[in-house]
Amino acid sequence: MAALSTEVLVIGGGATGAGVAWDAALRGFRVVLADRADLCEGTSGRFHGLLHSGGRYVVKDPRAAEECIAENRILREVSADCIEDTGGLFVTTPSDDEAYADRFAEGCRATGVDCEEVDPAEVLREEPRLHPGISRAFRVPDANIDAWKTVWALARGAHARGGARILPYHAVVGVHRRGDQVTGARVRDVRTGDELDVEACVTVNATGAWAGKVAELAGIEGVRVLPGRGIMIAMNHRLVNTVVNRCQMPTDGDILVPIRTVSVMGTTDVQTDDPDDHTVAQDEVDAMLEDGERLVPGFRQARALRVWTGVRPLFQDTKEDVASTRDVTRSHTLLDHAERDGVGGFVTITGGKLTTFRLMAEEAVDAVCRQLGEERPCTTRTERLRGSEEGEHYHLGERLGRREAGLHDDQLVCECELITRERLEESMRRRGTANLDDFRRVLRLGMGPCQGGFCIYRATGIMHALRGDPSGATPRGDGLTAEQANDALLGFLRERWKGVWPILYGDQLRQARLDDWIFQGVLDVGHLER
Amino acid sequence: MRTSLHYDAVVIGAGVAGLTAGTRLAEAGARVCVLAKGVGSTHLAGGTVDVLGYDPGRVEAPARALPAFVEARPDHPYALLGVDAIPPALEWFAQRIERGPQPGYRYLGSLERNHLLPTAVGVARPSALVPETMAAGELGAERPVCLVGVRILREFHASLCAANLARLGVEARRVELGLDIDRPEVNALGLARRFDDPAFRRDFAASLARRLEGEERVGLPAVLGLRDPHGAWSDLEDRLGRPVFEIPTPPPSVPGMRLYEALRAALRAAGGRLVVGATVVGAKRDGAQVSALRVDTAGRETTFGARWVVLATGGFASGGLALGSDWVVRETVLGLPLRGVPLPGTARFLPDYFAEQPMSRAGVAVDATLRAEDLENVLVAGAALPGAEPWREGSGEGISLTSGHRAAELVLAANGLAAAA
Repeated sequence: MAALSTEVLVIGGGATGAGVAWDAALRGFRVVLADRADLCEGTSGRFHGLLHSGGRYVVKDPRAAEECIAENRILREVSADCIEDTGGLFVTTPSDDEAYADRFAEGCRATGVDCEEVDPAEVLREEPRLHPGISRAFRVPDANIDAWKTVWALARGAHARGGARILPYHAVVGVHRRGDQVTGARVRDVRTGDELDVEACVTVNATGAWAGKVAELAGIEGVRVLPGRGIMIAMNHRLVNTVVNRCQMPTDGDILVPIRTVSVMGTTDVQTDDPDDHTVAQDEVDAMLEDGERLVPGFRQARALRVWTGVRPLFQDTKEDVASTRDVTRSHTLLDHAERDGVGGFVTITGGKLTTFRLMAEEAVDAVCRQLGEERPCTTRTERLRGSEEGEHYHLGERLGRREAGLHDDQLVCECELITRERLEESMRRRGTANLDDFRRVLRLGMGPCQGGFCIYRATGIMHALRGDPSGATPRGDGLTAEQANDALLGFLRERWKGVWPILYGDQLRQARLDDWIFQGVLDVGHLER
Repeated sequence: MRTSLHYDAVVIGAGVAGLTAGTRLAEAGARVCVLAKGVGSTHLAGGTVDVLGYDPGRVEAPARALPAFVEARPDHPYALLGVDAIPPALEWFAQRIERGPQPGYRYLGSLERNHLLPTAVGVARPSALVPETMAAGELGAERPVCLVGVRILREFHASLCAANLARLGVEARRVELGLDIDRPEVNALGLARRFDDPAFRRDFAASLARRLEGEERVGLPAVLGLRDPHGAWSDLEDRLGRPVFEIPTPPPSVPGMRLYEALRAALRAAGGRLVVGATVVGAKRDGAQVSALRVDTAGRETTFGARWVVLATGGFASGGLALGSDWVVRETVLGLPLRGVPLPGTARFLPDYFAEQPMSRAGVAVDATLRAEDLENVLVAGAALPGAEPWREGSGEGISLTSGHRAAELVLAANGLAAAA
């Protein structure tokens, strides 16, 4: 059995876990981070992309609102490159309670969320697709944040600055305990089956909705996380260029977030027992499309590209009974198990939201320091992430600008998302993974209107040519067999289908049938022999 | 509104089914106009004529498999058309290609035995008729294969294709050739135009010849010429001294464009008219008859009077059928009644990508003479017909050719016109 020794073991490679790794590495700790899947494959990669101003919580959960606006300001500085400063609006549509607007404005004042009431006519000039009947409108500093880019910047930064070892696709199969002390964990590489013992002074459980399960592996009972499942639908272009919220108590389907090439409608909230349950119910889709119509009339005529579910980790104190997951605080929870359960070397950080990941990481690493009896101050409030050194925000058109510069030199692999062959090959060399979904998350491969119809055969072929053995017989080095390449292609198609079949209608159905024609007809991939 | 035009038959759709029906009618002396929103689905498909490839296992001989296939599927277009209607349609098609504008270019094969040709990913795919330029790719043959990739063409990846052929027991390898084209990418059509040029072929063959070994046959993406594919292909075979074959690429499909050009030429030669860029926006009904179509062409509306209408607008992929966000399926041109649509509240699609999808068999309801429900002079052909799953069955071109051909025969018979040879 291979073994590894470290000071801090982080379980979970979402925004919180990667944030913990970055924070701990900056404080000089040796760090290992393990996730059962790719980084940012879980909840962090399955939200609508909103960097909260806090406006959403000013009435209902003022503490969460205060945290959001504080973190919003910090992240705009330290992870500028991951953020597009779209600005945000809260609008009172004819479907909303008019009285809420005043409570909203008052809530913003009380919590310190920057808020300016604007003339609805002015808003309609900026966002002409919005419902023409809006009666009040408020500007807030909402923005969008690319979670995949953020998490990878955190992980790479942790590696570059503190030598952190990042282990995606390593599932925790056991947590080691010696008496009242957690001493690390055993992880299994899910791709090869190889196991590895990681010995650690402190283990941080940053597994979000799965935190209860991991705590149980450590023999700790009663860490109850209520998974709240929500669906989101990406529409094929930016119906709005500003984040638009309905000015009402937070509810289902009341926010539209423009991010990269799409806009994302969110979300629902269904309490579930299984955080791995990604079922999308037909009535949820219908309700969401209806909600879209309330914000942007004609919403249903736009192309819906993809639907997915994310699972909010909502910590519930086992002593209380909470009926609806929406009423559980959005604020996060830190459990120092030395204090809570008399078990040292183990810290759980859960709940919260992507906007507050940095604060959660700070609190978790503070707890690590307490357990180790060390005083090492947090520096993530000011330390800029890799790629954000200049402090400039991402802007729409950045890729197009790069593409235009290299128009005559480099081949385009994905027309929808403007991904060049050079960029894809560089990523393929660096990641060493054969999972095309990993490149989807990093490069947005196959995320555009054709949903991989044209780029996925190309990407599979390029990956095989780059790393494969054309005879298919013997893998060379980390070589890719034909079987692995086929699995990558088929795996991508299957995974994609999960996100498209519930929302197939209109031109997107036509697109999907064209894709089927290419894959099942012309290429006949359904008969790739196993 | 412009002066109305009058035709014996107006065909809507310029895919295989529409062009076949229109040409066949024009050849019999009918005044025909084919209206199409854009070029048909020919540019998407690989250019082979698939009649029956899977049932659900791979079909060796369509002629033998078809009777049991239709027996088990009374709602399938082949059951409606009758298996006997297939051979004459294929024969008609093969003749039109041979008489076509690409000198010497022809299709090979029959219903007695499916060809088994590689796809661009390296799957052995069954087809009844194939362009002569593809036939040497037969995977039953013994000769080793050398696949040729060119970096600037993104629609063919020789390394993956060769590796998958090797898994099928075919001795296969690949070479990558640099082409003297100063661009980072070129699509299949752009490359095909280069292959029409003898000087380009000469240089290509010279640089490829050095890389070939032993008894190898040569597999290339399907880009060997658009104007004169027979000339380009035989020229390469001569220069290389070995069999050469094309492999269909994802769209744009060069063999599909050749097929389109050949059928279009046949339509014109027979006196038929083709209007591309024409959207049918409405119909004038006269009892159980459609007497005229209102057509938007070049920004103005024209009325096309028609004694007969053949609807060959395809399925969901071609826009002949559409599913609204209200989850209602509609035939998009005339609003015809449908069949095979999953009932409200039941699954439209299933979570498994490779499962048979409930929505895929939807189509326009027709009677045994291909007539749309309640309409005496509207016939339906091609992928707009219900009951088939063309890609899963490997039956797309077979259904389109046979139903297009049959629709024409039915119109001619109803008019008392003798079917011309």
